[in-house]
Amino acid sequence: MSAAGSSGVGSDDSAPKPALGIDPEALASCVACGLCLPHCPTFRATGEEWASPRGRINAMRQVQDHGAPVDRTFLAAMDTCVQCRGCEPACPSGVPFGSMMEAVQAAAARGGRRGWRRWGFRILGRRRLLNFASRLLAVAQRLRLVPSKRLGLPRIPLAQRRLRASGHDVWLFTGCVMDAWQRSVHAAVKRVVESTGTGVALPGAGGGCCGALSRHAGLEDHARLLAVRTMAALPGDAPILVDSAGCGAALKEYGELLGTPEAEAFSARVSDVHEWLAQHAERLPPPSGSSRPPTVAVHDPCHLRHVQRVHQSVAEVLARYAIVVPLDDDGLCCGAGGAYAAMQPELAASIRARKLSAIERGGADIVASANPGCTIHLANAGVGVRHPLEIVDEVLEYER
Amino acid sequence: MRFPRAKEHDPLVADLKRALAPDRVRSAPLERSIMSRDASIFEGGRAGPVCFPLSTEEVQRCVQTAGRHGRAVVPRGAGTGLAGGAVPLEAPVVVVTTKMNRLLSVDADRRMAWVQPGMINLDLSRAVAAHGLHFAPDPSSQQVCSLGGNVGTNAGGPHCLAHGVTSAHVLAVEVVLMSGEAVVLGDPRGFAPGLDLRGAYVGSEGMLGVTTAVAVRLTPNPPTVQTLLLAFDSVDAAAQTVSAVVADGIVPAAIEMMDNNIIRAVEEFVGAGFPTEAAAVVIAEVDGLPGGVAAEAGRVAELAAARGASVRWAADEQERALLWKGRKSAFGAIARIKPDYYLHDTVVPRTRLAEIMNRVYEIVEDHGLLVMNVFHAGDGNLHPMLLFDRREPGVMARVHAAGAAIIEASLAVGGVLSGEHGIGIEKRDFMPQMFSEDDLDAQARLRRAFDPDEMANPGKVLPLGASCAEVNALGQAPEGVWG
Repeated sequence: MSAAGSSGVGSDDSAPKPALGIDPEALASCVACGLCLPHCPTFRATGEEWASPRGRINAMRQVQDHGAPVDRTFLAAMDTCVQCRGCEPACPSGVPFGSMMEAVQAAAARGGRRGWRRWGFRILGRRRLLNFASRLLAVAQRLRLVPSKRLGLPRIPLAQRRLRASGHDVWLFTGCVMDAWQRSVHAAVKRVVESTGTGVALPGAGGGCCGALSRHAGLEDHARLLAVRTMAALPGDAPILVDSAGCGAALKEYGELLGTPEAEAFSARVSDVHEWLAQHAERLPPPSGSSRPPTVAVHDPCHLRHVQRVHQSVAEVLARYAIVVPLDDDGLCCGAGGAYAAMQPELAASIRARKLSAIERGGADIVASANPGCTIHLANAGVGVRHPLEIVDEVLEYER
Repeated sequence: MRFPRAKEHDPLVADLKRALAPDRVRSAPLERSIMSRDASIFEGGRAGPVCFPLSTEEVQRCVQTAGRHGRAVVPRGAGTGLAGGAVPLEAPVVVVTTKMNRLLSVDADRRMAWVQPGMINLDLSRAVAAHGLHFAPDPSSQQVCSLGGNVGTNAGGPHCLAHGVTSAHVLAVEVVLMSGEAVVLGDPRGFAPGLDLRGAYVGSEGMLGVTTAVAVRLTPNPPTVQTLLLAFDSVDAAAQTVSAVVADGIVPAAIEMMDNNIIRAVEEFVGAGFPTEAAAVVIAEVDGLPGGVAAEAGRVAELAAARGASVRWAADEQERALLWKGRKSAFGAIARIKPDYYLHDTVVPRTRLAEIMNRVYEIVEDHGLLVMNVFHAGDGNLHPMLLFDRREPGVMARVHAAGAAIIEASLAVGGVLSGEHGIGIEKRDFMPQMFSEDDLDAQARLRRAFDPDEMANPGKVLPLGASCAEVNALGQAPEGVWG
């Protein structure tokens, strides 16, 4: 045994400063077993260690514990992470990878990066500006002035019907981009919730962006500001239902983000809409059986499966009205990842290719996705994708 | 993924990029330092340029280019090895096979397939599931480890008790030798004339060449499986039950043991209903035709109950999967208790299991460490895991001393150095305790028959000076390899 104990890895170094601000206990908790690798979409797409959670943690340690520079190689390894958090349920050691990556992103943002995103995401918090910009974009799309396909944009509607509240039993969180671009989904979700005899309230001014994209990009101050505004727009004790998996995960993590008892209490009121419907399944109208049920492949959005961990409820609700086909890819991410598909188009497309072959193997009529980002990303590859409750709404509408 | 590229000044890197493609050779300091580790505790490795070939021809070009520059080659799969076999020493060219992950052909009638070395073990079983077949060796890391790595370490797994380890499931291998030549060892039909070079190659830990394709034997899925969870009040009773089952003439598909510490850690992760108060549990699985399975499972339950066990029968596939998930995530789950572990791997005669386990508990207590035991009891393959926090001053020395004592104790009762993880760096310097000088010389000469200049994974397995010719590029183990 030549050098036992002589180098003393990390044992008595003169306490290096946590340059990245990652919790040292969290950083030490990875044992490098590698069980996360197959659950990481970027590792699956590339086969390269630095595109895996274990490799990224190793890189974080090099910087935070051993003083390696935050160079472009490091940032490239970090920025290629989709932040799907598929590694978290796969990790037997319970490494909190998502919050470690958020710390890295926040450190990068403090270092002056994220220029355009810092400004771009501001628009998401301003509903009227966002709606106005969306109308302009919709017109520009009609005039073929925007390369929508290359930018990964869906076809944005020119006009949208206003939603009206129907009671005060539950809130329906409407969000920013989804409200501006896919309000018809909210309308369908609202009808399905109302079919259980529940009155739906809608958030007032300020109930726009939940701040998830800002938080993932490390813009924590902006994320906190939006969290406070969102909480103010959804007062009282009524349950808050969310039909976008990414927003739902963000709302459920307000307690951790703000660290106040009010935020904790707010987060406790939040449910994904499918989670809530599955709990109130006895109140859902039964299928009449007069129409042929559609065959639906359920795509599990990462933030529903890995973060909220309530993805089963989508299949539970859908199974009452449709024939549900499982996908055989262990819930691997589709590559949408909020703004990821726009930031890392090549990787996002190769991650998506894997999902597309799983969808093809499943052989369903249509794919259900409970997250708008996934819907847009998959639809751009020519897949027929709907929100699960749009599919339910259609079956109910047909039978009404 | 676009990584930023500076102008290339290193002629080796420039040549490798010409031989492959610029984006499939990585050489930035961070990229190399990430590749200097695997799943073992060994730090102090140093990677040279890292190559990601896509084909046998590209591996040949990597090897030839490295050779022209006088650099060694270290093959690497998914990096889940626990003996440091893929840890590069002295900045060799690292050839990573993860992008070579295709299933090349399946012959369901002859129950065999050709696969590329980067294919993940479990992906292979999933890909052939439609034919009612699977690849029998199932290491705990099977959801991530690659078949090339399985061949390199002659990997085992819980279900190797009845079916045999990797060597029994490899018909032929295509290998790129350090000369750059590609050869096929063995024969995919299962019978090759002459010397069994395939047998010499499986388990050679990357010291003979780079695996570029594997002809694997596939095993029919058993028609019936019954899994039992046996909970015991003492480790002794559990160990005696394992011996009694085998002595009774039953060869279970798997028979695995976990002690109390690991039961508690695993239960917290999987919530499979493992009895957290039991001193030890045994997971026993029998498979085959329904009648035989019922009879054998009944007999196992009887033998266990006679030694005070409470017996739980897995009711369905879901319950069975959850029990195995607990067993197979055991290694990772320990970080819930301490951030580092040193997973040991020795084999002792099955009849001495209870005795040696008690000895392991003593050794670990003497060194002021924590231990958890989870292992393949059926073939006496011990896996004591020493738990520690490497940030604690002086702890590494105690970990290594305890490890050495466990090896000595295992060898003293007629055991061997490693069951399935391999020798790598970890056990290299213990080889003389197991093998005579003549044995080691014979091994070194076999190695040089394939790789005369010792350019394939140098510094592993064979202790320095193992060869009488004293040909060794390394001199001595680099500083810091042992933590």
